[in-house]
Amino acid sequence: MNSASIGDFYAEIKSKADAKVDALKEKPVVWIGTATCGKAAGAMEVKEAFEEAIKNSGLDAEVKEVGCMGYCYAEPLVIISKPGFPDICYGYLDEGLANRLVEDFLMNDDPCFEYALVALETNDYFPTFSDFPRGVYEEKIILEHCGFIDPGDIDHYIAREGYASLAKTLRMQPEEVIREMKDSKLRGRGGAGFPTGVKWETCSMAAGEPKYVICNGDEGDPGAFMDRNILESNPHQVIEGMIICAYAVGASRGYLYIRAEYPQAILRVKQAIQQAREKGLLGDSIMGSGFNFDLEIFQGSGAFVCGEETALLSSMEGKMGIPQQRPPHPAVSGLRGKPTVLNNVKTLCYVPPIIRKGADWFKSTGTPESPGTAVFSLVGKVNCTGLVEVPMGTTLRNVIFDVGEGIPEEKGFRAVQIGGPSGGCLPESALDIPIDFDSLQEAGAIMGSGGLVVMDEDDCMVAVARYFLEFTQHESCGKCTFCRLGTRQMLDLLTKITKGEGELSHLEILRELAEDIKGGSLCNLGKTAPNPVLTTLRYFKDEYEAHINKRTCPAKMCPDLIVYYIAPEKCSKLCNVCVGSCPTEAVYTREDGLKAIDQEKCVKCNNCLKTCPPEYNAVVKLSPPELLKEKEGNLS
Amino acid sequence: MSKMITLTIDGRKITASEGEKLLWVALENGIYIPNLCAIKENNRLSASCRLCFVEVEGLAAPVTSCTLPVSEGMVVKTRSPRVDRLVQTAFELLLSHHRLECSSCSKNGSCELQKIAKERGLKLRVKRFKPLDYETEVDDSPKTFVFDRSKCVLCGRCIWICRNIAKVGAIGFSRRGLERVVSTFGDVPLAESPCTECGLCVEACPGAALARVQA
Amino acid sequence: MKLLEREKEIISNELQDIVDEYQSKPENLIPILQKVQDKLGYLPLPAMEKIAQALHIPAVDVFGPATFYNQFRLNPPGEHQVKVCMGTACYMAGGSIAMESFERRLNIKEGETSPDRKYSLERVACVGCCTMAPVVVVDDEVEGSVTPTRVDGIMLSFEASDGEKKQEQVEGPEKEQREELEKEEKSEPEKKEGE
Ligand SMILES: Cc1cc2nc3c(=O)[nH]c(=O)nc-3n(C[C@H](O)[C@H](O)[C@H](O)COP(=O)(O)O)c2cc1C
Ligand code: SF4
Ligand code: FES
Repeated sequence: MNSASIGDFYAEIKSKADAKVDALKEKPVVWIGTATCGKAAGAMEVKEAFEEAIKNSGLDAEVKEVGCMGYCYAEPLVIISKPGFPDICYGYLDEGLANRLVEDFLMNDDPCFEYALVALETNDYFPTFSDFPRGVYEEKIILEHCGFIDPGDIDHYIAREGYASLAKTLRMQPEEVIREMKDSKLRGRGGAGFPTGVKWETCSMAAGEPKYVICNGDEGDPGAFMDRNILESNPHQVIEGMIICAYAVGASRGYLYIRAEYPQAILRVKQAIQQAREKGLLGDSIMGSGFNFDLEIFQGSGAFVCGEETALLSSMEGKMGIPQQRPPHPAVSGLRGKPTVLNNVKTLCYVPPIIRKGADWFKSTGTPESPGTAVFSLVGKVNCTGLVEVPMGTTLRNVIFDVGEGIPEEKGFRAVQIGGPSGGCLPESALDIPIDFDSLQEAGAIMGSGGLVVMDEDDCMVAVARYFLEFTQHESCGKCTFCRLGTRQMLDLLTKITKGEGELSHLEILRELAEDIKGGSLCNLGKTAPNPVLTTLRYFKDEYEAHINKRTCPAKMCPDLIVYYIAPEKCSKLCNVCVGSCPTEAVYTREDGLKAIDQEKCVKCNNCLKTCPPEYNAVVKLSPPELLKEKEGNLS
Repeated sequence: MSKMITLTIDGRKITASEGEKLLWVALENGIYIPNLCAIKENNRLSASCRLCFVEVEGLAAPVTSCTLPVSEGMVVKTRSPRVDRLVQTAFELLLSHHRLECSSCSKNGSCELQKIAKERGLKLRVKRFKPLDYETEVDDSPKTFVFDRSKCVLCGRCIWICRNIAKVGAIGFSRRGLERVVSTFGDVPLAESPCTECGLCVEACPGAALARVQA
Repeated sequence: MKLLEREKEIISNELQDIVDEYQSKPENLIPILQKVQDKLGYLPLPAMEKIAQALHIPAVDVFGPATFYNQFRLNPPGEHQVKVCMGTACYMAGGSIAMESFERRLNIKEGETSPDRKYSLERVACVGCCTMAPVVVVDDEVEGSVTPTRVDGIMLSFEASDGEKKQEQVEGPEKEQREELEKEEKSEPEKKEGE
């Protein structure tokens, strides 16, 4: 097969796709974000409202589903494109607003700017992304199309140059593809940052047939959801990356390992594989080139440790997901003992743009040792939660305060947790380090999968460390001594400390154990599990000491070290919302009409504090609990 | 026949066949390295007990000797402050989850744990860590032996023997994390499982989790 | 645990087909278990035994994975499944408060099914909706920002929908299940294995 005919093949599918997408530009289209985040916020109800209103109006307009564009805080989101207007994005949709947009914007010509978030094209009326700090710092390579194309229709991806890189790859020699990847210095985004090109080269040179390509979409980090989002919003870019990888290393079969808890992602990928097969982009003789490769989905059964590559392979072989000694590395001996490339979803997403635009283009973004972008799921105490993609080397401060627009309710910043259970908690002083694989490691955290959880002054660092230890303890496979028993011993000590039963000697044992677990565990789950404890001990030692020496939780978060108290001088006889809000009837009305809390019954659910109207603000938390006696003593 | 090589362990020159795992080379030459989970015939290395650490010249951190193939010119030290510390912690962790009753235990005197303690000067009674709860129920359903999980270190030797030598497959690992145990299908007593009571597992057990009933 | 008639039928009639569909290969154990659990709602021991026979592997090699993974349950789930997210964002935003509220309202602990098999309560690690923390998945619907007050609301909607169902006079397997359960009245809450 000659390369000209691969070009023709691509030109043909491209022109068909263009025609289909161009036809849509002739009429108004409502693009609604229906990834899991959108659905959870009520996107399907909004979609129905649009469809209903459009039907009633008799307009020739369409409603299409797209994935997530990363502005999760404003879900449900829609983009409306109407000929003669720039594409405009609206947030916080509900049925009422849907009706209004159909009536005012689609039927008449009022784009309702008061509800618009941003325009997608430069225009004379409304700001675009580049007019916001977020747009200034963000640079999208792998999220570029997420939320803007219909993930259920391959033509939408093709119309945006999708599969062009595959057409280019098939006309290159496999060695050239590997050279380009090595030149690009792309590092794996699954956590460890291993150079992708080197991994591919090892696999391509390893003996054994058939070879496999596996996309690691296990995403077990309990604060990260970007892989899910990419699979739901633009599955074809991952698939294209996998086919290119397969061609480069000589693999004939591939698997997408996706958590069964991500049904929407599985559905989207299934559709995508089907459509790619129908177009001749998967299966026998891809694009008529004579190269054969096909893909399947493997549904992960929910175990964090299965993200670890050897455990993942064990689970694909029908066994428990227990990590194995490395070497041999999977690139040499992986699935069924054959050479296997295992890459993260994001890593594979970078492949098509790198092949299309070249290694030098890729290296022009980011830092010399960590080129490209970093993708974070920004959550926690930050105004604009969602998915963020910024060049490597951007500071955490820019990500949190510019892109994320800071901390809500004018609270103070306390820490940012980066890298999930394997990562660490970094304080204010670390906000100005440029983010890349190596600088984060130096600070004691890791890039990890890219979970970024912002914490404010109400978050207790000891409780956070305990939370992560509880997680790893629960998710440890249990195979090796340090991780199985060591994390449990650490957890027990942390539990004691959060209950006010800790001793200063515990801090020393914690540190020793943490170091030994790091040094002695078999796999990276155990080797990184102590990081949250080590970083909090390093940066927030005073908080540990307050728990131990003063039985005080400075953030007033640890339930055993706080009590709820209603200040009589602030409480009003006229109001009793707190009484109704209490699930255990601990809040009662005193004889004088003011409210008080029966500490015996209180379960510390925080409901009364939340419901107390701001004009009174009478409910407070006290730590240590002994303060209560003082307060009550004052009264009598 | 693989190539013979020379390596140095604790200052002694030793010849061995290339690629053999360091742990066996050392043990066969009378140099003790603590170990519980290693099985020489098993190619799928377990490396789970984390007791067999050694220092190897040129490697930044201690490594497990049961997984390390020997090579020409390798220089090994079986003891160092770093090794001793890791071994001590691993050992103490195992004992923090172990019913300690040496004087009334059937393996008293022939127990691998006691041996490790003696060789490395470690105490069996652990002060640093709090004892964790262990399973108290003992499976005494087999006629000739008992299975006492409170003394199990999860080395997996019984499972391997049951499967590969006895060719029965009555027991296996189940569950995850701290709840990981050696169990039968559905947690039934051994007598109700496919177990033939051949007793090979009892020979394989380094401690007294599987122990003969004393007549 | 006693099997319902319907469950016995599935085990004797359909399991072999599922295993055949996966070419009776032991390496396909996980998808086979997933499919069987889809059919039965859980993995009863007789089903696992049958799978082991069909795959020609020791039964304990099915039991191991079935108890290892979060997805598999050894006891029947409740009619309504409540899964409380304990991912980082949800924990920080009060996931454990939501969990406690459900424990209190349902009178069962995390990982348990109520004796009437009506409710089961589980924790999950991140459902990927961190921006709406704390999140609870109720019968596959994601609920965001769950406070104790919202928990009460969710419980009320369960009770309301069950009231409607009763009036409709449920027939078929569900009726059979209820009748059988009424027979075994005094059963204890069932702990989910492997938790
Ligand atoms: C406990 C643990 C969990 C992991 N979870 C994931 C995961 O969810 N997704 C992922 O891509 N990699 C995960 N990894 C990293 C993988 O083992 C592996 O390094 C990665 O998939 C390689 O892909 P990359 O080179 O593209 O980064 C995990 C590693 C460990 C030790
Ligand atoms: S470090 Fe933890 S997860 Fe990894 S093998 Fe050891 S016990 Fe299993
Ligand atoms: S003997 Fe090496 S880890 Fe157990």
